[in-house]
Formats: sequence, C-alpha cells, structure tokens
Amino acid sequence: MRPEATVIAALGLVGSLTLAGCGGAESNANEVVYWDTSGSAESEVFRQVAAECEKSGDYDVRVETVSFDQALNNYKTAAQGGQGPDVLRADVGWISQLAEAGLIQDLSGTPLATDTADYLPKPLESTKYQGKTYAVPQVTDSMALFYNKRKLAEAGVEPPESWEDVKRIAPKLGGENALFINNDEYYALPFLYTHGGDLVDTEAKAITVNSPESVRGIRIAKELLDAGAARTALDQPNSYSSMKTAFTSGEVAMVIDGPWAVPEYTGSAAFSDPKNLGIAPIPGSATPSPVGGHDYVIRQGSDATEASQQFIRCMSSTRSQARIAAELGLLPTRSSAYEDPDVADNPIVQAFKPLAAATHSRAWIPENNELLEPLQTAYADILAGRQDPQQALDGLADKYKSTVLPDYAKR
Amino acid sequence: MRNFLGRHWFAFAMVLPVIAVLALLVVLPLLQGLYFTFTDINDTNIANPILDREATYEFLGWQNYVNVLSGSAAYGSFWATLLRTLIWTFACVGCHYGIGMGLALLLNRRVRGRGVYRVLLILPWAVPVFISAFAWRYLLNSEYGLVNWALEAVGLPGQVWLGQSNLALLSVIVVNVWLGVPFMMVALLGGLQAIPSDLYEAADMDGATAWQRFTNVTLPGLRPVSSTVVLLGVIWTFNMFPVIYLITGNNPHTRILVTYAFERFFSGATRDYAIASTYGVLILSVLLVFAAIYRRAMVRQGEVL
Repeated sequence: MRPEATVIAALGLVGSLTLAGCGGAESNANEVVYWDTSGSAESEVFRQVAAECEKSGDYDVRVETVSFDQALNNYKTAAQGGQGPDVLRADVGWISQLAEAGLIQDLSGTPLATDTADYLPKPLESTKYQGKTYAVPQVTDSMALFYNKRKLAEAGVEPPESWEDVKRIAPKLGGENALFINNDEYYALPFLYTHGGDLVDTEAKAITVNSPESVRGIRIAKELLDAGAARTALDQPNSYSSMKTAFTSGEVAMVIDGPWAVPEYTGSAAFSDPKNLGIAPIPGSATPSPVGGHDYVIRQGSDATEASQQFIRCMSSTRSQARIAAELGLLPTRSSAYEDPDVADNPIVQAFKPLAAATHSRAWIPENNELLEPLQTAYADILAGRQDPQQALDGLADKYKSTVLPDYAKR
Repeated sequence: MRNFLGRHWFAFAMVLPVIAVLALLVVLPLLQGLYFTFTDINDTNIANPILDREATYEFLGWQNYVNVLSGSAAYGSFWATLLRTLIWTFACVGCHYGIGMGLALLLNRRVRGRGVYRVLLILPWAVPVFISAFAWRYLLNSEYGLVNWALEAVGLPGQVWLGQSNLALLSVIVVNVWLGVPFMMVALLGGLQAIPSDLYEAADMDGATAWQRFTNVTLPGLRPVSSTVVLLGVIWTFNMFPVIYLITGNNPHTRILVTYAFERFFSGATRDYAIASTYGVLILSVLLVFAAIYRRAMVRQGEVL
C-alpha cells in the first residue's frame, strides 16, 4: 500500500470511530423508555404491568432494569447530556434534588398533578418541590418491628409498645438477643423521632439534630445496648447482613426493617411458614418510621412527554397498583387500591397498612440524602460508645452547618 | 526545518491520529478540569443545551485551593487525609515489595510443583477486585466472619475489624497487600531470572555468603525492575479506590484523597465539580512531586528511568 493510502485509511478509521462515538441514540416520540429500579424479586411484575399498559395505550414501552444503587448517578449523568429514560422510578428522597438540578419535568397543571385526591397524603408530599409537582407516587413504605412469633409466644410476651417494654421483656427473650439494632443511618431515624426529634426543621430553617429531643431519642438506642436488651454489629458495612443473619437464623427475636426485606425473611427457614413473621409498629412515637417509597418522574428533555404521561397514568392507576400490591406485597399509594379484594387478602399489605398511614414526614429538600450520610458515622460512633450522643450529634450539627446546609440556623 | 519535515512527514502523519486522540481524550479534559478548580461549578450551574440553560458558574480564583488547603473539615481535612493516604500508600507498597520479593526468591529456586505455586500465588490478582473486596468484607464480619471465628478458636478475642477505628485502616491495608503481592512477585521473579547466573558463580568463587550474594548481586541486579514497579505501585496505591470504597464505604477512618474526591462528587445533592477537580489536581501534583524526587534519587544511583 502506498503511504498516502495508509494515511487516508488511518484517518478514515479514526474519523468513523469518532462519529460512531458521538452519534446519539435516535429518539421516538411514541416509545417510552422506562428505567425500573425495583429489586430482582419484583422487577418481573413491574415488567408485566408495563407490558399491559403498552397493550392498552397507543405507545410502545421499553423497560430497562437498572440497579437501584446506580440509578441516581446514571440518571443524572444521562439526563445532563440529554440521554436516558423517559420515565424513571425514583426514590422519594431523590425528587427534590432532581427538580433542583432541572432534570425532571414540572408536571403541575397536567392531570397527573391535579387528579390526586385518591393518594395518601404523606407519599404525595414527596412529589412536591417549591410548590410545584414533579412526580407521581408509585409505592410507599414504612419500617416496622418484625418479630419471630414463635419466640415471643414461647417467652409468653407480647410485641413491645414502647422502648421500656423492650427492656422489660428482653430477659425472657435471651437478653441482648431480644432486638438487633442495625447500625445504618436510616434505621437510626425511629429512635431520633421518639421524643419528637428530627434532623432539620425546614420551615424554621434550623438544624435540630442536636436538639434535646433528638439527643434523648438517639440515646435510647445506646441505652438498650447498655442494658443488655439489644445487640448490634459495630462494623457498619456488615451491619445489615449481620442483622438479617441473626434474625433468619432464629438467634434474635426482633428487628426493625422495611417491607422490602419481607421476601428475604419469608424465604428463610425460620419463617418458611410466613405466619411466624409478626409485623408490629416500631415502639416510640406515634409516627415512628420515616416515609419511604418510590415515585414516577419524567425526564426533562424527553421527546415522548405525551406518551410518558399516559404511561404513568396507566402505571399508577388503581388497577395497576392493586396488582403490584397483591403480587409483591408492596404498599399502594392510592387509598382505593387497598380496597381491592386481592389486596385485602394480602397479609403483608394488611399488616403494613396502618403503619404506612402513620409515617413521619421527611425533609423534602435537595440535601436530604446528604443529611443521612454523616449521620451514619455519628450513629456508629454513638452505638460503639466512642462518643456520647450529645457530643456526636453536636459534631453532626456542625457538619450540617459547614458542609450541607450553610444557611440553616444552628441551635 | 523544511528539509526535516520533508524527510519525516510520513512519520509525523502516522503519529498524528494518536496525538489528536490523546489531545482530545487526555489533554483537553485535563485542562478543562484545571479550569474548573478556579470556579464554583456544580451540576446546577453548568451549561446544559438540552435544558436550554446557560452556564452560570463564576470564576473564583484560588478560593477552592485556599479552602481545601486550610485543612478545614468542611473540605475533607486535607492534611489529615493526605497523611492517612501516605500511611496507606507506603504501608501497602512496602509490604507488596517485601512479601513479593520473598515469594519471588522462593519461587526462583528449583522446587517441585513450582508451576502450581505460581498459579496459586497469582490467583488474588486474577480475581476481579470487587469480588475479593466483598469476600474480605464477609471474612472480616465481626459477628459471623471467619477471621474472628479463627481468632476465637485459638482463644484470642475477636475484633471489630471494619468499625469506627483505625483497625479499619489496618484491615483495608491487609486486603490490599493480599491483592497486590502477586504483581510484585511476578515482576520481581522476571527480574531475578534476568540476572546472569555467572555473577552468582563468581560471587561463590570469591567466598560470598548468601546474604552478601543477596545484597551485592541480587538487589543491584533487580534495581531496574524494582525502581519501575515501586513507582508504579505507589501511583496505583495512592489512587486505589475500589478496595477502600467497597470494603468500608464512607468510614472517615479509611478516607484517602481519592475516596474523598469521589464522596464529594457523588454523594452530595449537587455534584461538586469544583472541589472534586481541586482534589484531582492536588492528587496529581503530589504524585508529580513524588515522581520527580524518586526519579532524581534513582538517577543519583545510576539508574535511567
């Protein structure tokens, strides 16, 4: 080959690679790409419901399963470049930050935002940011006290209604094996809420995580450990899996966890008879659990906005919600879905129904995830006895003030 | 000059695509990152043509560097984190080199089943890092882990390996040593086999002891290989992200510079491009300074890097 020909061939190759790399995916106004972030046990049902919506509507649906851990980052990166799904299943905690970054569509004024009388009020709050509506609730969740019914019956005790009860019944349940306290930050919130504490007060723009109420609440967790009425795993990265091992092996009588853990618990030997798995409200305040769950959002810049709205309307209809609840035991966000006969027969949904109605609101600000991460370290320090609750939470408040929420008042 | 170009135009034409691609993929992003460190850029003020949004970030001058280098906790306690990064790097590379050298010397002899040993010793390197990391996380579980079980079986107290203490740093160092030894071992074994055997014979003739042979023949003979792999090892370990992140998450006791840059970028409500880039530039500077000092030390010893 002559040199010139080689050069031209090489340049041509580089050029075509560059073009291939830059070429974007073609968009189709009639195709809704849906990122499903549900777990492996759940995604099949969501896929079927989506397929049914596709059949009933005049649009196509492509479901892509994305791991929940990666979804937020992948979505942000993609949406920033005008790529990504048309519809995303977003955690309730993500809505405000995605809205703040301008990555999801304002749905105010569309039927999705106005026709909301049927939705439970707490999950609906998560869809709003600065007075506008950005999302539609998909499922809600609430943490609960899971207990091993057989163990409690053998010890002759009822599920505890207060943290004092836990201390009182612990000796009969094997002392520290009565309750396993997970070292993760989200699981610290029921303790924090017990005496009316909270992370921040968004109305007063104040940091309340080191208020006397919050400190008293968090102190309960440490006191339960010290009293030998509960145990924990001090290695935070392994804490959740250790808790599940301890509960499913029958070592521990009670744990605090959410409905997402139910399939794993009922799949284990100790709960092979699902009736052995008791579900009760978490002791503490009247609204002991933070509200969790997922919402549907439409990507800003999507070409299939019209079709996406129809798709979400179908996915969040009472019929779809009832089917998801009946098959997966996830909690519907529409009150009408609870009246569906199949849902009424689902013991998990029925057990969680009163709990989901009494959840604690969270701070729907873009920083809400950022508030939880440093709490993880502070909570682990408290449970390990490395720091006194007051000292650890004062340090946490300093951190909120200096890094997360500089314009909030510190007490 | 014209003559030079005329004679070598073909060579230049051949490397041009490589230069263009490198400029596009390495130099341009590097310069852009450098520029970001002088601004307050994050993902709410970055330009976004799809959303019809203009860039609104502002030029801050040296403010990001002042904030980070002040060592304030709000910006990741830079000096304390740098110290921890150095402890982590030199502990890891020191053990890699020492243990790798020991194993390479053992394997350099004629022993039966040498091939089997080699394969087994290379195994940690061949397993994807995230699998090793998760396996170690379970091994080090304080309640149900194999390590504590073994300790308790011989009557020693179990430890909370991955808790809120410096034991967590020790744990990740141990895991990283386990992961990194095979590379050193293979590289040094290659170096050992390149040392001519007549040097050893000559040393024998002169009545050198085993230790004298090691310090006067083996070590100098290995120097070209060692100096390169140690430099590579320092750079890799300094920026080793997956081991720490997958095993301990965001534990402040194992935070090194790269993991903090990652936390800063990904865990905030808004992605802080500015501070993350500042950390990137500072990491690059530290490594450049180290490489320069190291190279000078090597040159003084008569090596060419």
